[in-house]
Amino acid sequence: MNRNPYLQKQPANWWVKNPYYRFYMLREGTAIPLFLYSLLLLYGVYALTQGESAFNQWIALLRSPGMIIFQLITFLAAVFHAYTWFELVPKILVLRIGNHRVPDVLIKVSHWGACIFCTVMILVSAIYFL
Amino acid sequence: MTNTITVELSRYLPETDKAPWYEKFEVPYNDDTSVLEVLHYIKDYLDPSLSYRWSCRMAICGSCGFLINGEPMLGCKTFIRDYSDTASIKIEPLPNFPVERDLVVSMDDFVEKLATVKPYLIREEEQPVDEGEYLQTPAQVDKYKQFSQCINCGLCYAACPQFGRNPEFLGPAALSLAFRYNQDSRDQGKKQRMEFLNAEEGVWSCTFVGYCSEVCPKNVDPAAAINQGKLASNIDYGLNLLGLAGKKQ
Repeated sequence: MNRNPYLQKQPANWWVKNPYYRFYMLREGTAIPLFLYSLLLLYGVYALTQGESAFNQWIALLRSPGMIIFQLITFLAAVFHAYTWFELVPKILVLRIGNHRVPDVLIKVSHWGACIFCTVMILVSAIYFL
Repeated sequence: MTNTITVELSRYLPETDKAPWYEKFEVPYNDDTSVLEVLHYIKDYLDPSLSYRWSCRMAICGSCGFLINGEPMLGCKTFIRDYSDTASIKIEPLPNFPVERDLVVSMDDFVEKLATVKPYLIREEEQPVDEGEYLQTPAQVDKYKQFSQCINCGLCYAACPQFGRNPEFLGPAALSLAFRYNQDSRDQGKKQRMEFLNAEEGVWSCTFVGYCSEVCPKNVDPAAAINQGKLASNIDYGLNLLGLAGKKQ
C-alpha cells in the first residue's frame, strides 16, 4: 500500500474566519493593554523613588487626555477579561457538598461579588487616603 | 418536498494530486437529509470514486467527522435543512490531521495518543472474582460519566489550534480520557497517568481556547477535563516538591 498523505498546515490566519477563535484572540489580546498598564504603574513606582517633582510629573502624565483614553481602554480590557474568566471558572472549580455539585451560577456570582467588593474597597481607601 | 443544494467537496487523490482541490455537485435534499446522506448520494449517483468514512449513521461510531462550512461536525448529525439559506455547503476533511484521500484522514497518531494515557482501570491488586464487582455509588459514577461519553471522532483535535500548532500535544480527547480514569473510584493508576498530564505536551499545552467543548457531539467538555487536570497537575507538583507524592508503581 502506497500512502501519500497530504499534511494540512495551520495557516497563520487560522483564527480570522471562525467567530469562536476571534473571540478567543480578543480575550487573549486583553493582555496587551494590561501589560502596558503594568509598565505605566512600574514607572510610577520608579518616579516615586526620584522625588516629589518626578512623581507629580507622572501624575500629570496620567491626567493627559491620551493617557485617560489609554486607562479607559485598559479598564474595559480588564473588565472584559474578568467576564471571560468568570464564565470559564465553573468548568475548573468543581465543588461538591455531599453528593451535590455547587451550581455554576453560584460560582460565577461569588467571583463577581469578590471582584466588585475588592474594587470598591480599593476605590474607597484611595479616596480616603487622598 | 425536494430541493437541491450545491455541495463543494474537497478532493485529494494521493496517486496524482499534490494538494487538495474542490469539486462541486448539485444534490437533491429534503427535510431529513443529513450531510452523510448527501455524500452517499454523490458516491452512488455522481462519482463512485469519492472516499469518506462512515458507519453507524447515529453519532455513536465517530467515523464521519468532517469540516462542514468551516466547523468540525459529524456528517450524520448535521442536516442540510439547517443550511438551506446558504448558497452552498463546503465539506472538507478534518483539519490538523493528514489527509489520506478525499475526506478520509489518518487517525493513527490520534489513536496512539489515546493509548498513551493508559485508558483502562489500573489496580494495585485485583479483587478476586468471587468477591464480586467493584461497586460504585451514583455520586462516584457522576464524577467521570460525562468524560466517558467520548466516541473518538476527533472533532476536538480538528477544533484545537494548539494541536494544529504542535502535533506533539496529547490533545483534548486523550487528556479527557486520562481525567476520566483518574476520576474513577475503581482506578488506582493516577500516578502513572500524571506523568503524561504534567508534561509540556500534556495539560500545559492547552490555553483554554474551549472550542473543543463547543464542537464535541457528545458534550464531553474536554476543556473542563483538561483544565481540571491542570489543577491536579499543580497539586501533584506541590506534593512532589514536598516529597509526599509517593512512588510511581
